Amino acid sequence: MSDADNPATDADAHAHHDHHGHEGPGYVTPQAAIEESEPEEVAYVIGLYVGTDVDAPDFLAVVDTDPDSSTYGQIIDRVEMPNRGDELHHFGWNACSSSCHVEGLERQHLIVPGQRSSRIHVVDTADRRDPELVKVIEPEEVFEHDLSAPHTVHCIPDGKILISMLGDANGELPGGFLELNDDFEVEGRWDTPGDIDMNYDYWYQPRHNVMISSEWAAPKTYYPGFDLEDVEAGKYGRQLHIWDWEAGTVEQTIDLGEEGMIPLEVRFLHSPVSTHGFVGAALSSNVFHFYEDGGEWHADKAIDVEPREHDDWDMPVPGLVTDLLVSMDDRYLFFSNWLHGDVRMYDVSDPANPRLADRIWAGGLFGPRNPIEGERDVYGGPQMLQLSLDGERLYWTTSLFSTWDNQFYPEEGEQGSVMLKADVNPRKGTMALDQEFLVDFGDLPDGPARAHEIRWPDGDCTSDVWL
Amino acid sequence: MSHALTFEWADGRTARVDARPDETVVEAAERESVALPFGCLTGACATCTARLLDGHVAYRRPPRGLKPDQREAGYVLACVAEPRSDCRLRVGVDVHRELVDNPWK
Repeated sequence: MSDADNPATDADAHAHHDHHGHEGPGYVTPQAAIEESEPEEVAYVIGLYVGTDVDAPDFLAVVDTDPDSSTYGQIIDRVEMPNRGDELHHFGWNACSSSCHVEGLERQHLIVPGQRSSRIHVVDTADRRDPELVKVIEPEEVFEHDLSAPHTVHCIPDGKILISMLGDANGELPGGFLELNDDFEVEGRWDTPGDIDMNYDYWYQPRHNVMISSEWAAPKTYYPGFDLEDVEAGKYGRQLHIWDWEAGTVEQTIDLGEEGMIPLEVRFLHSPVSTHGFVGAALSSNVFHFYEDGGEWHADKAIDVEPREHDDWDMPVPGLVTDLLVSMDDRYLFFSNWLHGDVRMYDVSDPANPRLADRIWAGGLFGPRNPIEGERDVYGGPQMLQLSLDGERLYWTTSLFSTWDNQFYPEEGEQGSVMLKADVNPRKGTMALDQEFLVDFGDLPDGPARAHEIRWPDGDCTSDVWL
Repeated sequence: MSHALTFEWADGRTARVDARPDETVVEAAERESVALPFGCLTGACATCTARLLDGHVAYRRPPRGLKPDQREAGYVLACVAEPRSDCRLRVGVDVHRELVDNPWK
């Protein structure tokens, strides 16, 4: 099933751009991705029914993002999973720009894990508007390696795929990493059990032989919902782990302290020469800047989101930085403030000193319930983000995790998520909500669904890595 | 021997299925095409939380997703609970929602 066995046909010739002589998926440099990519015509978006009474499996939605199309802003296809109960969450490509020079490899297959089920799906997107489920790795095969709760999917060199796993086979600690080969078979466990305790997201920068992983908690802790007792008992993470990428060993652990509780998404700058990046500490409402200096890695708080008083809350509402990304030109950082209801844009030309450039309010506890006149109400705040490769269109969905949604935004399960979009002006550092674009995940044949991560067929700002 | 399971939803709907020996509540419901919520099927995620109103269950695997006080309050994890008698259970996603509320509100 390796893509190398299936040379490109005329049907997917669209997947190839003029790559100036190189073979393989992706782009030679981040700047080439900006210059050579076409505007995204479809988005792949996770839709889920776990955590509702809708009797249907989770699905991968194909959303039309071509403004010239008659179905712009609509779900034009859905790939249903074979089982209920997955909680599809994050997903990734079988290949990215890190395999840019690997002849015969295609960015064609999406690896779509179930966060609760530990089942791993493989979806073939050769027909971009009509993708097809082609393989399922059942949970038992994952549990054999004493791992569960798959999260972040990155392709790694040689066509292999690495998935961060948050728990052991029982949903307890430690987590680790599962490796798949280029035929999408489980190759084994990438790490040595016990290298780390908690796990969540990770990103690697191969030119510096480094990988950084973050921490959520044991699946059995975060799965049922958010409980402050668990925070007080120290069951949530606050560390970053710095790995020797080739050796697969932890070389340094950074404790972010009380201001770095629950470090989630890890985003290096895209430039392969950079040793800078950001991680959002969700619970303590901060963004940390991490960097290498003199052979040591450091992480400093760079952005602090102040809590806000709310009439219906007993205590100030904390900012919850749940997702963040860096534009392909490494100039802007965007993050979602899920509880408050805004998405922010920071100039990070000087990564140690981010400057707030602009923000948009939509939904959440402080944003407008009805940000687009004449369209449906928005429940939940901005959450998973994705930016076009040229940095001019920012999209987001509103669901975090089904059980956590039910605690903080119970209406979202009943009304479904939305997907929204902002037009970005990178030159002026501004954003404007697109009044013509709202994808309604509340209006589907089986019932209202939640929407989570977003990916583009030609790679995106939250997955592409350069060698 | 098999045991009769009666499910009750918040909207007043009910269903009855027979659980075979060594079947969990979720397995029995799935076999008879009665949709109960579930996630991990290993007792970790609590998506399948039900409230045991009558009867007894034994756990195939430890119900890790429930805290001790939640178990004492009568909540059970239907994915790893095997009936040991006829049982009456309150089911549906709203049962799980009772376990956790907004801790700041």
